[in-house]
Amino acid sequence: MSWTRYFRRRHWDEERARELEAYLETETDENIARGMSSEEARYAARRKLGNTTLIREEIYRMNSLGWLETIWQDLRYGVRMLAKNPGFTVVAVVTLALGIGANTAIFSIANVFMFRPLPVTDAERLTVVAVQSKGHTDPSPVSYLDYQEYREGTTAVFAGMTGYALSIIGLSYQGHADRLLVSYVPSNFFAMLGIRPALGRLINPGEGDAPKTGPVVVLGHSYWETRFGGDPNVIGRTVALDGTAVTVIGVVPEEFHGPYNLVEMDAYAPFGLLGFHSDNAFFTSRAEGDVRVLATLKPGVSIKRAQAALNAIGQRLAEQYPEADQGQRVRVFPERIARPEPAVADFMPLVAGIFFVMVALVLVVACLNVANLLLARAAAREREISIRAALGAGRKRLLRQLLTESMLLALAGGVGGALAGNWVCHLSNGMRPLGDLPMRLAFAFDWRVFAYVAGVALVAGVLAGLVPAVRVLRADLSSVLREGGRGLIGESGRHWLRNGLVIAQVAGSLVVLVAAGLFTRSLTRAESIDLGFDPHHVLNVGFDPALQGYDQARAEAFFRELLGRARALPGVQSASLAFSIPLGIYNDGARVYAEGQALPPSERVPGAGFNPVSPEYFATLGMHILEGHAFTDADTAASPPVAIVNQTMAARLWPHRDPLGQRFSYKSASGPYVTVVGLVRDAKTTGLLDATGMYFYVPQTQNYKSIHVLQVRTSIPPESLAASVAGLVRTLDPGMPMYEVMTMDQAMQGANGYFLFKMGAGFTGVLGGLGLLLAVVGVYGVVSFTAGRRRHEIGIRMALGAQRGSVFGLVIRQAATLVCAGVGIGLVAALTCTRILASLLVDVSSYDPVTYASVAVLLLAAALLACYIPARRAMKVDPMVALRYE
Amino acid sequence: MPKKGSPPLEGELLQGTLDLLILQTLVLGAAHGHTIAYAIEHRSEDVLQVEHGSLYPALHRLEDRAWIASFWGTSENNRRARYYRLTPAGRKQLAQQTSRWEELVRAVNRVLGSSQTKPQTRTTGVCGTPLKAES
Repeated sequence: MSWTRYFRRRHWDEERARELEAYLETETDENIARGMSSEEARYAARRKLGNTTLIREEIYRMNSLGWLETIWQDLRYGVRMLAKNPGFTVVAVVTLALGIGANTAIFSIANVFMFRPLPVTDAERLTVVAVQSKGHTDPSPVSYLDYQEYREGTTAVFAGMTGYALSIIGLSYQGHADRLLVSYVPSNFFAMLGIRPALGRLINPGEGDAPKTGPVVVLGHSYWETRFGGDPNVIGRTVALDGTAVTVIGVVPEEFHGPYNLVEMDAYAPFGLLGFHSDNAFFTSRAEGDVRVLATLKPGVSIKRAQAALNAIGQRLAEQYPEADQGQRVRVFPERIARPEPAVADFMPLVAGIFFVMVALVLVVACLNVANLLLARAAAREREISIRAALGAGRKRLLRQLLTESMLLALAGGVGGALAGNWVCHLSNGMRPLGDLPMRLAFAFDWRVFAYVAGVALVAGVLAGLVPAVRVLRADLSSVLREGGRGLIGESGRHWLRNGLVIAQVAGSLVVLVAAGLFTRSLTRAESIDLGFDPHHVLNVGFDPALQGYDQARAEAFFRELLGRARALPGVQSASLAFSIPLGIYNDGARVYAEGQALPPSERVPGAGFNPVSPEYFATLGMHILEGHAFTDADTAASPPVAIVNQTMAARLWPHRDPLGQRFSYKSASGPYVTVVGLVRDAKTTGLLDATGMYFYVPQTQNYKSIHVLQVRTSIPPESLAASVAGLVRTLDPGMPMYEVMTMDQAMQGANGYFLFKMGAGFTGVLGGLGLLLAVVGVYGVVSFTAGRRRHEIGIRMALGAQRGSVFGLVIRQAATLVCAGVGIGLVAALTCTRILASLLVDVSSYDPVTYASVAVLLLAAALLACYIPARRAMKVDPMVALRYE
Repeated sequence: MPKKGSPPLEGELLQGTLDLLILQTLVLGAAHGHTIAYAIEHRSEDVLQVEHGSLYPALHRLEDRAWIASFWGTSENNRRARYYRLTPAGRKQLAQQTSRWEELVRAVNRVLGSSQTKPQTRTTGVCGTPLKAES
């Protein structure tokens, strides 16, 4: 077939028509010559030639581009049909858009977490190595010393190993200080990841690998742009990182946001800089793990082999350094499932799987809805389709036409869904689970999302269109014409298909609703967990006076003044200072050695979290001192060091003994010791679900840290005090930066607080709502359609004396049967599938009867309410009108 | 539902045959569709009954392949008619197809003539499974 013919096929058709006409004339002439009458002659000639239309069509087809041509025809026809029924089209497109949108949103999130590779060399072979100690269940960072051993010992399986230690530090330049998220990295970091500088240079081989060396810093692209306005002259300038003068040597490329997914890394500095802080045990302590290890597998090496190689090193370390590494288990994860922390690797695939199943269910419910709408419309279009079939449309061609229409719907739904999903993602971009830290979710619409949406839309189109299309084509079309359009699909006995679709819809949405219900209950339970402190009516204001160049003495004077003035503010009940807030994003911890309790050398020294606080801390946070007393102003740097321990710590270190007066050290096995002066009730400090660990408090005067958080308990709404506290700070030092100014209730919504529960309940709640809405619309559609089809029957019934009430009952009964069947099947399905949710639920059984019962009732009530309208309409049928209508 | 009303020319063999017949007819000189149809019928002594309509798609196809060319002319009884003539490419094609056709006929004849005389031999495989005889 040549293209020129394609474009000239109309001309060719005319040409052939003339040619055929010429044949007829010649043949007629000859027939007349043979002695026929002219009419007979013409007729015989036509018979001899055959069906001219078919001949022309065949030639026309030879000139066309086959499938392309018919697709174009189908498309035009489909668009016309859809445009003719705008109501139907809008409902179908919106339904599909909701289903596809939910899928897009979930996929975009999963894409960030699990699919999109880091922009680094050999990203597909990148792994994360972490260690799990006996007490802790979460895989956590590795100590520097252990990291070195793992790196040297696994060169057979890893092409390279590097790491980074996260820290929040102050960068000051020209009198202005910022709080930055930095990665301290070994010198091979950029080389191994294949990062080239956008400006200047990156860290050279060997640079800053030794303690107290490498006073340089590489800036993150985004930070360079916001802080230095993208000024290329920044290279070579000197800035202060937590008081250490360092030289800016380069800027990373724009597409590299750092190794820690979800946040934008502000800067990178060599490990060596960590040595400048005298109290930092980074280079010396095997017990403190700070290095988040990244390793690239050698080509062809499996994760399993790498794991075996690591295990061998881990075993040796445990034997060599039992006090630090005993019972420690080393694990390697593909980088993609360990975002942002390896701690998620064990449940991330499960969570993703659950959400994918849920959105798939919602999509199926949406497709069933559209399938039902199409079925109803196909019933109305039977005559049209039968006539087309009678006129010679092949079944394949008709099927393609019907599928084209549903694909068009799905395409429109896909576009709508992509927009909706994108919008949802933009909403979630606004969330700040990490406080002021620069969260970077970046749910960009990349090709993966696009391919996924296109695939989902395609599946939806086929799913929604196939059932009605096959249904129509399997029907005996000629009978439709004979029966005068009384319909096959509406015929009694053939309801099962439509009914089956509705039952499936109700069942599917019930499963989604049950999951949503379980997560919501879970959130409620999480919110009623005993925190051990009272988060209400507390305002937090974060400070780091080191950013302003304050030394300890100056900072202490500043905070003394601030506390005094804050207490005097109207509405303030108490004010205190702490290093960290409970359930916040940072914490401090140490190994603790109880005095006089020598541990066997094979046993790991237990760790505890701690928080340097000011005397009024426990009153401000509403924590109960069970024994002893809170710190007082008499606890100073010069007085004997003291501590207040929680119940867990007291029970672990001094079982069955009075903890007051006991001594322990959090520096080394040989002291210095602190004396326990109080016992405080256990409180949630690290995570809502974490078992309460050992925790203790020390006076700020005896453990100075530059980072402070001012906490104020108020009798008035705490947020109303933010302005006056900020005013106080400005009178004391107008340049003092404040961060994470929020109420404790707000702070509780963070990553270690209710964030995940809220996200889970929110997402599943939205999905559940969608499922419910779609199911209700589906039930309504089917019931009103069948009720409409039964107008005639209802008219007869009423003419024969049926009461309006019984007609109403008739319709409702039909609907109730469907919905109950759906709910029944859905309950069984939910009972079997929600078991996999169990590990993600707090304090709620996956068989929680309250959830199941309330969801079933909700669905039943909503569905029956949806039937009320068609039932009432049926009840009001005027028998005369209904019968005359025939 | 009506079947596709295509002429009884399905399958490669028949289609190719009709092409061959048309080309052969045109060797004698240009002709229009009506003449070609009758010429085929007559020259085959009425064994090959061509549905005249089916001729036209075939003519179209041949012209598309540039084996024949067409022009409007005046027929013997003074009517406008579309005439077809063989192109050099068509002539070459005719020679090729004729020899292929003869080969085919010879082959079919050989098969028909020999089928009763020779029994088929069978080879047996390892486990007694008969191997398919390859020709």
